[in-house]
Amino acid sequence: SIVTSAASETDAEQLPKEQHARSVLRESFLRCLLSMTNKKVRFHLHERVKVEATFGASDIDVLNFQVSDLHTPIGVQKEALIRCQDVISFTFEA
Amino acid sequence: MQCDWPLLGPLKWIRYVNKQVKVKAGKDEERCGWLLTVDPVSASLVLVNFKEEGGASVQVVMGHAVEEVEVLREADDETTERLQTSFLPSKTRRLDP
Amino acid sequence: SSWRSSMAPPSERPGERRGAEMKKLYGKDAAKIQAMEAAMQLNFDRHCDLKQPKYWPVIPLKL
Repeated sequence: SIVTSAASETDAEQLPKEQHARSVLRESFLRCLLSMTNKKVRFHLHERVKVEATFGASDIDVLNFQVSDLHTPIGVQKEALIRCQDVISFTFEA
Repeated sequence: MQCDWPLLGPLKWIRYVNKQVKVKAGKDEERCGWLLTVDPVSASLVLVNFKEEGGASVQVVMGHAVEEVEVLREADDETTERLQTSFLPSKTRRLDP
Repeated sequence: SSWRSSMAPPSERPGERRGAEMKKLYGKDAAKIQAMEAAMQLNFDRHCDLKQPKYWPVIPLKL
């Protein structure tokens, strides 16, 4: 129909723009993650839990952060994985 | 400006780049900063605050926790330049000694 | 074998499917992003193999 062909024309124009935007945003985010390697990071988790650790690596789906020397309220855990779902935000100095 | 942040998509997220934004996330927690980027996979925002003594404090707010994003102002050219060169790969800084 | 028939057609391998998805998402930049991601994931996997980190907290705060 006319409606669907008009819609797909707009999509065809829109798609490369959207792909470009996505790639610019993603590349910049990945660089930001890479720059965190070995940095001290403060995590704000749900339930007002705040912990500090040395950042190691993130998986690409942003589900888990691998960290070292995690300072928990009950002591230091040498190696840990933090679930991104538990995290509200995190901060580091660049 | 209430929005379902994770569902906006790249073309809308990119409009917030180089803007100073205020983000509400989690329970009544608020943070401000220059928006460097939004991860299109997790919708997480990267906020940068420059320090007077040099360097910057970087805050990443996870997309799933975002409740509201408000634009405060636009960056001038100098701030944009400073922001966008913060995490550049070394090859684009090849003019450095 | 028989279990295979219930899964994706044999011609469609995970790697290829991922490549096609990346192409759809990132267009002409797909290869660059995919290379960056591959390096990052490899790094993450290597760190985890080496350090055997355990989840903290043990129980998720948010389900």
